[in-house]
Amino acid sequence: MTPPVLETKGLSKSFVSGTERVDVFSGLDISLAPGQSLSLVGRSGSGKSTLLNIVCGLESADCGTVSILGQRFDTGDAESPRARERRWASLRRQRIGVVFQDANLMPALSLADNVRLRARLAGRSTTDSQDWLQRLGIGELANRYPDQVSGGQRQRAAMAMVFAMQPDLILADEPTGSLDRHTADEVADTLFALQADAGVTLVLATHDTELAGRCESILDMAHRNDPGPGG
Amino acid sequence: MNAAAALFSHYRRHPLQLVALALMILISTMLWSGMNHLTDQARSSLGRAEQSLSEGSQVIREDGAPVTVADFARLRRAGLCVMPWLEVPDPDGVGRLIGIDPLAAACFASGAMSGEQPALDGEPFIDMARAARLAGSPGDEAPPLVLLAADSVSADGLPTGYALASFARGPDTGELGASFLLNLDALGVLVLLITALLLRAVYQLSIVQRRDSFALLHRFGVPGKRINGLLMIEVLVLAGVCVLPGVWAGAQLARALGEGFGRSLEGLFDVTLYADGSQWWRSILVMMIVVLIACLPVRTLPHWLKRSRGVGWLGLGLLAIGMVWVAWSPGLVWTFVAVGLVFVGAGVLVPRLMAGIMATLSSRVDDPLGRWRYRELGVMARQLALPVVALQFTLALVLAVQTLVTTFEATFEQWLDQRLAAHWYVQVPEGRSGDRAADWLAQKLEPGTAAWHRIRRGTVMVDSGAGPSHRVDLLAVSPIGPLMEKWTLQSSLAHPWKLLADNQGVLINEQLALRYGVGVGDSLVLTLNGRVQSRTVLGVYADYGRPSGEVLVNGADLPADFQPEFESFSISPGGRGEAWLVSGFERIWQVPEIEIRENSDIRAMATRVFRQTFVLTRAMTFLTLTLAGTALLIMGWVFITSRAWYLQLLVTWGLSRREAFGELVRVSLGLTTTVSLLALPLGVWLTWVLVHRINPQAFGWSLPMAVYPGFWLELLALSTVIGLGIAALMGRQLRPGRMVALPANQSGGGER
Ligand SMILES: Nc1ncnc2c1ncn2[C@@H]1O[C@H](COP(=O)(O)OP(=O)(O)OP(=O)(O)O)[C@@H](O)[C@H]1O
Ligand SMILES: [Mg+2]
Repeated sequence: MTPPVLETKGLSKSFVSGTERVDVFSGLDISLAPGQSLSLVGRSGSGKSTLLNIVCGLESADCGTVSILGQRFDTGDAESPRARERRWASLRRQRIGVVFQDANLMPALSLADNVRLRARLAGRSTTDSQDWLQRLGIGELANRYPDQVSGGQRQRAAMAMVFAMQPDLILADEPTGSLDRHTADEVADTLFALQADAGVTLVLATHDTELAGRCESILDMAHRNDPGPGG
Repeated sequence: MNAAAALFSHYRRHPLQLVALALMILISTMLWSGMNHLTDQARSSLGRAEQSLSEGSQVIREDGAPVTVADFARLRRAGLCVMPWLEVPDPDGVGRLIGIDPLAAACFASGAMSGEQPALDGEPFIDMARAARLAGSPGDEAPPLVLLAADSVSADGLPTGYALASFARGPDTGELGASFLLNLDALGVLVLLITALLLRAVYQLSIVQRRDSFALLHRFGVPGKRINGLLMIEVLVLAGVCVLPGVWAGAQLARALGEGFGRSLEGLFDVTLYADGSQWWRSILVMMIVVLIACLPVRTLPHWLKRSRGVGWLGLGLLAIGMVWVAWSPGLVWTFVAVGLVFVGAGVLVPRLMAGIMATLSSRVDDPLGRWRYRELGVMARQLALPVVALQFTLALVLAVQTLVTTFEATFEQWLDQRLAAHWYVQVPEGRSGDRAADWLAQKLEPGTAAWHRIRRGTVMVDSGAGPSHRVDLLAVSPIGPLMEKWTLQSSLAHPWKLLADNQGVLINEQLALRYGVGVGDSLVLTLNGRVQSRTVLGVYADYGRPSGEVLVNGADLPADFQPEFESFSISPGGRGEAWLVSGFERIWQVPEIEIRENSDIRAMATRVFRQTFVLTRAMTFLTLTLAGTALLIMGWVFITSRAWYLQLLVTWGLSRREAFGELVRVSLGLTTTVSLLALPLGVWLTWVLVHRINPQAFGWSLPMAVYPGFWLELLALSTVIGLGIAALMGRQLRPGRMVALPANQSGGGER
């Protein structure tokens, strides 16, 4: 049996703002096999983004374990913050692709240069960046800047960047959240097609039930009773 | 929540911005009003020195000899209304006393000189007899007697041998004094301009950040006029609160700098700085207006100013015209106008140039991250254009002033070394002649090991052939020997000292050469004690720190009856000591005690005085630099904060926070370093203008053009500090566990 790409055990996170303490989630266990897709749903504020940030190391959990792509991060470990940070950075650099709702591109670089930059950071060849833009249907926009294209085209470019780095895991936080229905569907189609094609594992946070339904399993962050992946 | 509260809540979220804006207004007010305060004082002091008798005329002898009491008696007997005027140093204080003859003054029918109580504010008049007694006391050089002529005296009515001339006290500071004030005013305007730029930059920032709130208020039905009105009130309140303490701080600054400034005024013009109260309300008014203008919304300009290519060419054109103009400008005002053009041109051009350089560099590099750095720098150059330009101007100014001052010090010290080449200096006592002492020195001192010369000073009428003749200072030196030959000459014929020793001509100082357009090889007609001689100009020598023209002649060329106003010896006695000199002079001059001074003491004192001369300029430029640096720091910080998301993006893409911080450091250092690199040529050019154009036009003497790469390094180090400051402030945004919020108004793809 292949080990899971992503596994969390007893993951808890709370925020303290002023005197108030907000428990976002606690005792969260997830396990995700290679090539699988999982969607995170739940009302606003239920902790979808927080979870995504924790499993790519941009935020840290209060307690619990994250095992990801063969690396284990335990809040109880005596590892120095810097060493931990380095391990996370190297994972994000080469193996975890992150897509946000918006602002995934450097505004000062053309779409093609954005793709090249992401590929170069991941240590991949920068020569096929044009191909990736082409596959996402925006090849002719390669030399435009992010403010010169539409929101949907920007999200396509963001996908091109993620696929150009050839990751093992994609974390997408409402990747179609700022798009209209039609464009959202188009972008989602491309995302799932490429994901299946490359056999990449995908975790996707969304409010869109239709989009969520396209994933193999769904985790409702607001009413969590079935943390494990379905079927 | 009403509209006002909604608008101003911005500052509750960004208190630092409010503090920055307030500090900016306060400091600029302080700088400018302090500067203005001193300029006002200098203006009124110089004015007083001249005003007294600006219309006055005096009777002089056509033979160039000083007038005497006998001349006075002769003119009075001819029925002419003249009055003796003798300025003597106040024995009790530092000022001067003016001796007049009240009886003779009676014929000055009208005007300031009528009656026994001449109505000259602040001028202490004493009776002529007392003044004459004071003038007789040993010490300073004997003051010349002046015969003032009433309006009724005309040139035709004068007996032969006399002429009318205008009377101004001291060297004719008129034009030079005005230039000096113009210099100060120009510096003041430049400071005002730089601070206005900075003010605008910081204020615009708060406007840009509140644009969304404005739009929202507008949508909620608050009319645009009302929003603008509220903003105007905001500016007025802010200005009102900050300008007053600023003016107060300016007065304190003026007081702190006043001493050095007063010395420079005395050193340059022999004018005392009177501590006047300046018109503080004017400072307040001007600053309020400047703040208002700086913060006024400009709607028509930005778009075409930001993008158009034509504006770049316009900037280049202004720059070129200004540079050519400076080289040919006939006077100081035009020079300043031309410098203004160059600055405006540079201001328009530099942000574009920086963006262009970055665009070129980014297209050259292959590494995508390197390309990102350059593109990001280009965005900064455009977004931070105002503070960048202000910083560039200030850096250029600092470089130029620093270089000027250092050049001046070096040149002045070298010049003093040449002038004070002898070891000892002794003044011939009042009423004694240097003849016998000169014979004695010639006899006793061996030319090989010892060196000496005798200096006699007076005045001489000079006619250069163009225009009227002028009375200038006379410096007679004999013998012309090794003490002189180290003098560096600005220009000369071959072997000038040999020619001078052979009595083949004269040397003149730079002031005379510039003022009357005389050069090497020209001939001058000198009238001295009635003797009229034509002499060739053998060379021009530098003569720093005073405005008067001067002719240097071989002492052997003086008429026998020449009466020096002042006489001294400079001696390096070889093997002989001080005691030998003292006893020798005391014997010859039959005085109980003679004071001989070591030239090194004089040199130290002179150096000290002249160091003070530029205290003001130096202080002003450094304060302005601090201001500009701080402004760029704040602006850079706020700007990078607005782009923090993109640094976060780099972290998301797998750069460690450390590496991302490294990128931040590179970008902010890149910005400040480029600014200072671009400031260097402007600074070097400005140095040239100061040294070769403004200084001669303002003070009558020029300085050699020197370049000090050490200062360049200092400026680069300074800009590095500012760059690191920006990065350090920003580093907080990259602290772990802190996700930067997605920028609210950048969903359109962000600024590029
Ligand atoms: N830095 C923070 N400080 C304090 N509380 C925070 C912070 N970040 C998130 N929270 C809180 O944590 C909870 C979860 O936030 P999170 O952004 O993960 O929700 P979400 O499910 O992604 O919501 P949405 O669907 O609106 O994006 C919210 O209640 C939020 O207010
Ligand atoms: Mg979210």
